[in-house]
Amino acid sequence: MRPILLSGHERSLTQIRFNGDGDLLFSVSKDKIVCAWWSANGERLGTYNGHQGAVWTVDVSPNTVLLATGSADNTVRLWNIKTGECVKIWEFPTAVKRVAFSPDGSKLLAVTEKRMGFLGTIAVIDISYGENLGAQADEPSLRITCNESKATVAGWSFLSKYIIAGHEDGSVSQYDPKTGDQLANVQVHEFDMQINDIQFSPDRTYFITASKDKSAKLLSARELAILKTYPADTPLNSAAITPKKEYVILGGGQAAMDVTTTSARQGKFEARFYHKVFEDEIGRVRGHFGPLNTVDVHPAGTAYASGGEDGYVRIHHFDKPYFDFMYEVEREQMRK
Amino acid sequence: MSRLGNRADWADDEEFDDPSALPAQQVISNKDGTKTVISYRFNDDNKKVKVTRRIKTTVVRENVNPQVAERRSWAKFGLEKGHAAGPSFDTTSVGENIVFRPSTNWKAQAKEAEKEGGEKGSMKDQLKDKKVKCRICSGEHFTARCPFKDTMAPVEEPTAGGMDAGAEDAGGLGAGSSSYVPPHLRKGGAGGGEKMAGRFEKDDLATLRVTNVSELAEEQELRDLFERFGRVTRVFLARDRETQRAKGFAFISYADRTDAVRACEKLDGFGYRHLILRVEFAKRST
Repeated sequence: MRPILLSGHERSLTQIRFNGDGDLLFSVSKDKIVCAWWSANGERLGTYNGHQGAVWTVDVSPNTVLLATGSADNTVRLWNIKTGECVKIWEFPTAVKRVAFSPDGSKLLAVTEKRMGFLGTIAVIDISYGENLGAQADEPSLRITCNESKATVAGWSFLSKYIIAGHEDGSVSQYDPKTGDQLANVQVHEFDMQINDIQFSPDRTYFITASKDKSAKLLSARELAILKTYPADTPLNSAAITPKKEYVILGGGQAAMDVTTTSARQGKFEARFYHKVFEDEIGRVRGHFGPLNTVDVHPAGTAYASGGEDGYVRIHHFDKPYFDFMYEVEREQMRK
Repeated sequence: MSRLGNRADWADDEEFDDPSALPAQQVISNKDGTKTVISYRFNDDNKKVKVTRRIKTTVVRENVNPQVAERRSWAKFGLEKGHAAGPSFDTTSVGENIVFRPSTNWKAQAKEAEKEGGEKGSMKDQLKDKKVKCRICSGEHFTARCPFKDTMAPVEEPTAGGMDAGAEDAGGLGAGSSSYVPPHLRKGGAGGGEKMAGRFEKDDLATLRVTNVSELAEEQELRDLFERFGRVTRVFLARDRETQRAKGFAFISYADRTDAVRACEKLDGFGYRHLILRVEFAKRST
């Protein structure tokens, strides 16, 4: 497969997201620009300009009408995807590290940083899709405060039933999005090893976490039970579950501050593919010159993209061997 | 060159009064479904250039969600505002092809590939380290230029075993490296008297000494006998100066030492004429 290299950013990537149909890819980086790309050919559709600081996070509404971004300038901005206009700005006391639309798009959560005397919070904002996209609620409808350890990432489970958050101390917790109560908290990863990413399966009944403790884990959304563990030999920044084939993709690498002391060969700047069920590593894809900060999979499972510390986004459209690969047991199952 | 070619007819000459005007673009449909487009333009030197392009049109039909189709028609915005359709070169490029084959024994395969790469790398490293090295003082200059040329003997070179007679790694400083060594004991810089043999010196390691050879032996016969194990570079059969009869020993040099080893194994004890040959590796003349 020939990767498409997108070099629209001048600084390291922080997050990339495909939209619901997989035809658009959104990327954000520390250089304040938000880019929209056609995933098929890597053409840039446009940029969303306005942020005053590093953009940490991006998410697309399920109907590809609105784009939400969270930034170090303490704002969450809502953009009209088609025109590139900023339709709404919410101010927060601290930087916003993660935004996520609920599965039906009616709510948006924003994870704020713990800093300057403010505790880390998860804010939930109601989103409306009227004629005038700018007509949004001014205040979050709910604020969940993380007293113990700040949340670093969060997402919505199936039917928006729970908010699942990953914490700085390596635990995962489950919140009720209506009341804001913490329903469960499980120490999934090693203590004090930050969870860097949470991504859900297509039906959102389970999710994968990527942690600094060099492992990724598959958890059920309802019980927070650890279903699978994928050990790696490097801190992980991102993990994604592939539809269509039963794989997971992990991205990571030597921490940015240690990079200059290691060669590209040792830096482990590769996307690692594991079989989701058998937990075996089945291959790696090399290419980036720095750690992979973020990976995302095309919703149809035909491509994946990775964004690295090196400022590049690489879109890989899978070719035949990827789809053909099967375990012996899978093949036997097919024959029956 | 194209000035004449692009005129359809000589009769058009009169109408073609403006020499700076460019002929209209021609589009010819070919039988195989392709189109040939001939157009003209001026190049940087203000010369007329004819450009012939053959275009094959392939229609790829794709059924997409109407929403996706609607999105395709969106105009570019932000930094891309006003740019032409299609990927622009400053933001989008295509990377090198990556072979990605998922496999359960992925690690073993990767290791193998790495080993191959590693070997290549080490070979490179070896070559990289092949610098000019003085045999006398191991400095980075030719032996002939060594400042200690006249006062020191060359460092001992490993002789036995290695195929490469010129293997450079010094086995350790010889005991006499600091004191005078007479010319006939110097290994590397063979003295003037040995120069004549010097040209055979190289194949010493692939040279067999054959003894108990019949007096009636012929060089050609020996060559035929030994050639079947590999390329023979030299056959020397010692003869009596007066009688021209063989003295009973010969030297056979091979191009390749492995051939010599094989020949030595097979032919030692071989019955040739009425005698049993004795074949062994020739010893150095020193």
